[in-house]
Amino acid sequence: MSDERTRFANVVLPHLGDAYALARWIARNESDAEDIVQEACLRAFRGISGFGDVNARGWVLSIVRNTAYTWLKKHRDPKLVAVENVEDVADAATGWDQGPAAPDAGLIERADAARLEAAIGALPDEFRETLVLRELQGLDYRAIAEVTGVPIGTVMSRLARARRRLIALLREDDK
Amino acid sequence: MTQAADDPVLLVHAYCDGELDPANALALERRMAEDPRLAAERDRILALKRALAKIKPAALPPAALRGRVERAVGMRRAAPRPTWGAVAASIALAAVVSSGATWSLLGPTQSALVSDEVLGSHISALIADRPYDVASSDQHTVKPWFNSHTIESPRVVDLKDDGFPLLGGRIDVIAKTPVPTLVYGYQKHRISVTETQGLGAPPAARETGGYHLIGWTDGGVSYWAVSDVGLGELQQFVKLFRAAPTSQ
Repeated sequence: MSDERTRFANVVLPHLGDAYALARWIARNESDAEDIVQEACLRAFRGISGFGDVNARGWVLSIVRNTAYTWLKKHRDPKLVAVENVEDVADAATGWDQGPAAPDAGLIERADAARLEAAIGALPDEFRETLVLRELQGLDYRAIAEVTGVPIGTVMSRLARARRRLIALLREDDK
Repeated sequence: MTQAADDPVLLVHAYCDGELDPANALALERRMAEDPRLAAERDRILALKRALAKIKPAALPPAALRGRVERAVGMRRAAPRPTWGAVAASIALAAVVSSGATWSLLGPTQSALVSDEVLGSHISALIADRPYDVASSDQHTVKPWFNSHTIESPRVVDLKDDGFPLLGGRIDVIAKTPVPTLVYGYQKHRISVTETQGLGAPPAARETGGYHLIGWTDGGVSYWAVSDVGLGELQQFVKLFRAAPTSQ
């Protein structure tokens, strides 16, 4: 094998599972996720000489993420991809008022996995990717900021708002 | 960061994520002890985190995906043999070898070598539990998929009403050349139809280790149909495939 291919096998292939999981969460469709991972791997292969040996997983995930959004823009009806501008949305995470019906911790904890997955799927893209990277892929704030290309403060507010929305969705389900 | 640092709610999230240094964590614990709203927020976040832990780790990527990726970056194209070698380890091949009728005994003609690889691709696709790269019963989806993957688009026909629904397509590497393969279903079986050009004429029929291969050439294109269905069913399939109108 050529040097690039050896390097690709050592740097990229070990993270194929994470890459696929992230693509699946972003695309919400398995066969699209596979196409995205294949395209992302090609990009990674072409750029392998520029990879600086630091945090291969984060590097691979950021390529997968960027590829996923480009891919979705190209292959899906733009009306479906267009997301609300979440940073402008007025449901400020920091607002105190959860209303009298804020579910208690016990109710949240009893939510089953299928219900949670559906609720995560209903989150806007920016919230969903941030939550998935933190809770399901275990990245810390700094790594999430690198993968998603935003400041840590934005990661924090997206994460808080993603959780708020999830909790609100679980409450609606419960009505 | 200043904004986040000023916002006690974001700090509670950071606290629950283990992102606060000990001094800040301690300060926040004091605030939570005094402010029931902050404490309630912490409890909800921790409950949500425990609930999320119930989500199983994401499904492993399909085995075929790794193969696709390796082919895409040229790790497999240069050496199609290892794929066959991996298959050799399978029980399927053990049966082929012990049957005494291995194709290799028939002489290393190109036809036999191509037959070997066509069969190998069919078996390894089945082992991978995903016999196609594009899964679709719609010929108008499958055909453009091949077009977009830079290889000759194969002849796609609709045999659903005859009991052979189209399941999808994949790209096989035969004699170091990417070629299109269509996958049809018949009851629980799979039938792979591989198209080649310039790789020699296929044998009219071969049988080995429970697999049948029927080959023919139409208009300069060679077709290799492989399956573990009975010979009669495969012959019927080939008859229908050749007679069916080609979709455009």
